[in-house]
Amino acid sequence: MTKNISILSIFGVIALIVVGYNAQKMDLNLQNSSVLTGYTLIAVMLCVALLNTRKKLSMIPLGKASSWVVFHVVGGLLCVALFWVHTNTFWPKGLYEGFLAGAFYLVSLSGIFGYLIQRLNSRKLTETGIEVIYERIPLELREIQEKAEEYIRECTEATGSDVLANHYLNTMVWYFQKPRFYWSTLFGAGNAKVWFRSEGASVKRYLSSEELEYFRHLEELVELKMLVDTHFVHQNLNKKWLLLHVPLSVGLVIMALWHLLLVEVYAL
Amino acid sequence: MAEQQIQTQSQSAEHTMARPQRWAQPFGSNMTDQDVDRLLSDSQLKDIDGEKFPKHIPLGGILKNDTRLVKFTPGEIVVREGDYGNSAFLVLNGKLRVVLSPSLPRDAIGRSKEYTRSIFEAFSQLWTSNWLPETRDTSKYSLDELMAGGSNESARVVLQDIPTILDKHNTGAIETGALFGELAALGRIPRTATIFADEDAELLEIRWQGLRELRAYNSEWKRMIDERYRETALAAHLLESEEFGHLDDDQIKDVADRCIFETYGSFDWYTSFQRLRSQGKSDEPVIARQGDYPDGLLMVRAGFARQTVKHGNGIKTINYLGAGNNFGLHPLYSAWKNPGASEDLALGSGLSALGYVDVVRVPASVLAEYVFPNIETPVNTIEVASQKTIAEDALLEWAVDERFINGRQTMVIDLNSCVRCDDCVRACANGHDGNPRFRRHGKIVDNWMVANACMHCADPVCMIGCPTGAIHRSMSGGMVVINDDTCIGCGTCANSCPYENISLVQIADKQGMPVVDEATHRPIMKATKCDLCSDQLGGPACVRACPHDALKRVDFREFAH
Repeated sequence: MTKNISILSIFGVIALIVVGYNAQKMDLNLQNSSVLTGYTLIAVMLCVALLNTRKKLSMIPLGKASSWVVFHVVGGLLCVALFWVHTNTFWPKGLYEGFLAGAFYLVSLSGIFGYLIQRLNSRKLTETGIEVIYERIPLELREIQEKAEEYIRECTEATGSDVLANHYLNTMVWYFQKPRFYWSTLFGAGNAKVWFRSEGASVKRYLSSEELEYFRHLEELVELKMLVDTHFVHQNLNKKWLLLHVPLSVGLVIMALWHLLLVEVYAL
Repeated sequence: MAEQQIQTQSQSAEHTMARPQRWAQPFGSNMTDQDVDRLLSDSQLKDIDGEKFPKHIPLGGILKNDTRLVKFTPGEIVVREGDYGNSAFLVLNGKLRVVLSPSLPRDAIGRSKEYTRSIFEAFSQLWTSNWLPETRDTSKYSLDELMAGGSNESARVVLQDIPTILDKHNTGAIETGALFGELAALGRIPRTATIFADEDAELLEIRWQGLRELRAYNSEWKRMIDERYRETALAAHLLESEEFGHLDDDQIKDVADRCIFETYGSFDWYTSFQRLRSQGKSDEPVIARQGDYPDGLLMVRAGFARQTVKHGNGIKTINYLGAGNNFGLHPLYSAWKNPGASEDLALGSGLSALGYVDVVRVPASVLAEYVFPNIETPVNTIEVASQKTIAEDALLEWAVDERFINGRQTMVIDLNSCVRCDDCVRACANGHDGNPRFRRHGKIVDNWMVANACMHCADPVCMIGCPTGAIHRSMSGGMVVINDDTCIGCGTCANSCPYENISLVQIADKQGMPVVDEATHRPIMKATKCDLCSDQLGGPACVRACPHDALKRVDFREFAH
């Protein structure tokens, strides 16, 4: 895929040079080069935005989605360059144009961010050694919690001691209830491990050897939950960035078309 | 009263139909009792003792439901080379001709295309797909013109210019009383030759389920089928091999007479594999033991075998052999080339059966006479394999242990590239009326996941035992597909699949009402699995939909290496 992006990037650069050269030629001839750069920009933007349509039309042979993604990435970067050629500035004047530029930068940045985190997250997820389907994560967490509580019950019944049960209710149940340490897990800081060592495992000194056996089972479940949490955090981010990127893209296209309409009606 | 009302309401929220039974969809819709009586008095069938058949599978029932009478006029093709068929043929009268060599060109045999949606039909799935899961048009289940696998009469092709064919191709005659096609039907392999009618002929087509029953309950048919199966397989296999391909008919006959045909493992190997795997054990029948002296070349005709060497306290898989591969050529050649050499000529590796394996043992004397004088020193596979590290062989070892080497279109996902977006699952659902036909879940080794999607195996054991032949090889492409119309939801295929890639689903009518058995009110089930988007344009949607090229369909034999 990286190779394909590199190849297509060459075509992107060539296209940019052609547009830039012609725009400069038009400027030298005292013509309005914004028409050329503007129409090129919106055409590329619309083509790039078609990726989502391609996804919906998976039953039709429209080529591989990966090729579309390559085009989306290269086309998106080309749009950024065309935007600068079109506006001749980083931030255009005018309120509406300011909003348009803001939306454009947000879409671009969210796209670059999404692409990069997807590439990084895939490996992080693989390194966990387990595979969990995102929609099943609440169920998996529920199962882990139920298993933990089963151990606690067994421990209380077998040893007659409620030390571990009380510790679970007072401290550990919080951890098992839902995904915890979101940001720490996302950045690989390991706060969950620190928390378990300092608070979760603080009960160990009060446990008998028999209770310690049950605690070890609990430790295994904590380790498993850390892996499931890792899946939750990274898969969640893999999906959530699209909630920013896609609606903003739709908004951007609408705003750009309105800008085009205004220009056609009043400026040309 | 309230209870009664609730019961009435719950009953009205169901769609009832008679639970499909094994013979609910007979193989031939036109078989009458008179036909069965005529067949029972036919010279080919009259000696079968009907008393030996169980009451629930009577001989008459088999003939009526698992067979059909088909008539062919001169030139009409009965079976085509390369087609996957699930039936055998008994010639009741007339004469047929088999094309031995060279094969007929593809266009001459009119290889038919299977149904593929038009671009508009593909597009219309956007709005025609049902929002409710697993809905079916239940009216189609009452159609009596359904085909249950096997050859399709409506797709018959007539050969043109038969005299030219007879001139240019070596052919053989098939006379009244001959049985053919059992090799493909029982071995789940493609037809090996094209057969066409030489004159008006009437044939009894027996779907493989019927053939299986005849073989099981009649010793004479069992002997005949097994003998023919072995003989035909041996001759064809020898001719296809690199070592014996150059021999003429007499020499081939001589070789065949001196070869030993052996079978290891059971035909339904998946049952023992599943049982043993659940117990963490392995039970692979030994074909050749490391350290023994070879007495002949072992040629694998069908199935898979594991080539191993002892390594430390365990055994290491260095290769696996499939149809067309052979074992033991190098030590035999060395012994022949250097008869007085002092080097150890015992087998440097062992061979064990992975499931069901057909092996031809060619004695060393035959090799010395026909093979060794014509070949260069063969490759020593052990030397080649020893150059690889254990880590390099880990994937192969794992694939063999899990029997994934059986897969021809295995879905593997590179987890380092997969972003878990599930676009593949959605694309699959889009092409199957809203129902995904695989799970993005499965066994993992390194960064590779083998997803729970039908692998369209070389040896599709799921086809064994299907009472109606609903699960079958597609005529073109050899994909394993399920005919939803004739599936009775018995679950045999799902239980047989060693990879858990077939699911049973409860069906609903178009309004989403669950379809239940009218007698017992138990749900009507259907087997579902990946069909490789055989009716869709552009091939498997899952592969095309993957935005990061993480998902591939691979032949595991190549992938593991």
